[in-house]
Amino acid sequence: MSVATASQGKAKVSPGRIARTIASNYLVRRLGKALFTVWFVTTLIFFLVRLMPSNPIEVYINELIVQYSLTYPEARDQAASLFAIDLDAPLWKQYVDYMGNLVQGNMGTSLRSPGTPVTAIIARFLPWTIFSVGVGLLISFSIGMTLGMLSAYRRDSAWEPVVSAIGSFLSSVPDYIIGILLLVYLGVRWEIVPIHAMRGSSTPGIQPGFTLKFIKDIFFHAALPIATYVLATFGGWLLTMKSNTISTLGEDYVTVARARGLTEGRITSAYVGRNASLPLIAQLAISIGFVVGGSILIEFIFVYQGIGFQLREAINTRDYPVMQGIFLVITMAVILSNLLADYAYGWLDPRVRIAGGE
Amino acid sequence: MKDENATIWDTNPLSVRNLWVEYLGERGMVKAVRGVTFDLRPRESLAFIGESGCGKTTLGLALIRLLVKTARISQGEILYRRSGRETAVLKLKGREMRHFRWCECAMVFQSALNAFNPVLRIRDQMYDTIRAHWRMSQSEMRERALSLLRHVQLDPERVIDSYPHELSGGMRQRVLLAMSLLLDPQIIILDEPTTALDILTQRTILELLKSLKAEMGFSLMFISHDLSIAAELADRVATMYAGAIVELGLVYDIFYRPAHPYTLGLIRAVPTVTGDFQDLISIPGSPPDLIDLPTGCKFHIRCPYATDRCRQEEPTLEPYGPDHSVACFHVDQVRRDADAIWEGTGHVAAGEAA
Repeated sequence: MSVATASQGKAKVSPGRIARTIASNYLVRRLGKALFTVWFVTTLIFFLVRLMPSNPIEVYINELIVQYSLTYPEARDQAASLFAIDLDAPLWKQYVDYMGNLVQGNMGTSLRSPGTPVTAIIARFLPWTIFSVGVGLLISFSIGMTLGMLSAYRRDSAWEPVVSAIGSFLSSVPDYIIGILLLVYLGVRWEIVPIHAMRGSSTPGIQPGFTLKFIKDIFFHAALPIATYVLATFGGWLLTMKSNTISTLGEDYVTVARARGLTEGRITSAYVGRNASLPLIAQLAISIGFVVGGSILIEFIFVYQGIGFQLREAINTRDYPVMQGIFLVITMAVILSNLLADYAYGWLDPRVRIAGGE
Repeated sequence: MKDENATIWDTNPLSVRNLWVEYLGERGMVKAVRGVTFDLRPRESLAFIGESGCGKTTLGLALIRLLVKTARISQGEILYRRSGRETAVLKLKGREMRHFRWCECAMVFQSALNAFNPVLRIRDQMYDTIRAHWRMSQSEMRERALSLLRHVQLDPERVIDSYPHELSGGMRQRVLLAMSLLLDPQIIILDEPTTALDILTQRTILELLKSLKAEMGFSLMFISHDLSIAAELADRVATMYAGAIVELGLVYDIFYRPAHPYTLGLIRAVPTVTGDFQDLISIPGSPPDLIDLPTGCKFHIRCPYATDRCRQEEPTLEPYGPDHSVACFHVDQVRRDADAIWEGTGHVAAGEAA
């Protein structure tokens, strides 16, 4: 296309050249790539959720049969009257409708709670996931960075192998196992924490706002999920930070900084710390994307009303629009955070800044 | 190194006495520096030459006490003198040691390419250096940094705001040189200052070093395996073998009148730039294992002059002629042979400038 415009535009020059300038712009290219990825993933999800065995109506019919002992035809009639959506329409038509609505910002409405827009569901539950996983991520990152750097500096000490072993052990145990163990031991066996009072994302009826009472309450409810995220991930940060710090300590510029007589504090922060944490900060930005994906299993284990919990509900009831909506949000979060990671890295590391600008 | 003119030595900026450095290795103790004794005279430039692994770099690092944790200075003395005051470097602690580094004795490392923190501008690394030692305002620091960058013939305004990766290898080496002069140290240690550079850049750096030294009057101690650089830049040369100085003398004596078979071997292993193609004679064998050193003279295994005495007894560094000392039992024989070679072939050591 640009070839055609370029040959035509020899006389007038401008349109072809502008098109090419725009197309060659780094930022525009990145954005174009991101948009393409969103479209691609959305399409994939659209078809994949429909490939799952059973469908929303079947699931609902089964529930009616089990709960109200209806016969199959009775249940099907009732279900059909409830669902306004025509699932028998050709798949391509459903797809075109869905994409058309999506472009206008309409994600459709939930099948199981008719009339509730998917956007409303996301807006209601997403903040809780962002809050709990985000806080967990920040705590875990801070602990991991600090301990990692300390272990690297004190790698001759007696406690260093212990800390590293705990870190690598915890980072290799899946988070849901840690969650279940916390639940079983802290909540049930030893009864240290009141798990029943901690269900949900906040105590029903509490007034939201920037009050100490509310903030304390939401932390109380998120405490176990946060603890799980921290335990499951800090080991990874610790090990990466430790090995980065050790290799940075071996860099010539650190020796030269010592030879220059710089204070140990300055060397630790600006020479060792800054260089060792560069890759971790990019990794942190990427992890932010997965915050939204949250932890479906963790939220389920602790009955924490976040987006992951809703996603599980939607999958169980084959609530296609809700599933698609949540997956879309997760996809966009991952893509955005990757962009963020690129820019963060470029901002922190001048060498990348140059290369990226080409 | 016996005292003929002890009075002059009191003004020597640096005196090293019987210095031993050992590394704790897996297999045992690596004796990297063994009883090194020398003086660095005011405004002189002293070259340390020798093969890789002979302890040159360890010696340099030991002087500013930047050895790795596994290394230890087991004995010896390092005395530093400035304006009539004498300091025992090995007794310095914490803050004093930090001050000694760079303020009194700056070390320019082998790889200038990696000597700078990649994420900080040259400006900030210069300021870091000044701030660690002096109290100066921002504008004074900038003024000083700019003037030194100008001294090393760089475009100061451009370089000071650059990141290290934006500069070429030669430029970085100059910036490092400028940085080493930032605090007006009395001693500069250069570890293989030009190894990573191409031959033309080497030349400009050498010229630069000469003129800077003439202008600023620091003492230069440099470590190199490149004899031509030593020949060009040094006033005196020390040959190191297996952690010890085996010959120390004026540059002319070392290159034209070598008295140690190892020095002779080094010189004969280097081609001359002009002159005819001569047989290059390499030194047979390889440097000894520093953990399990041979008895007697450490060079005897590779030495054509070796006798039973060499195998049992280690020669010490003894004066041989004015300002020239050698650790060899067969000095006279080596001297005679060297003269014969010189006369017979017209062989001239690599650096004609010497």
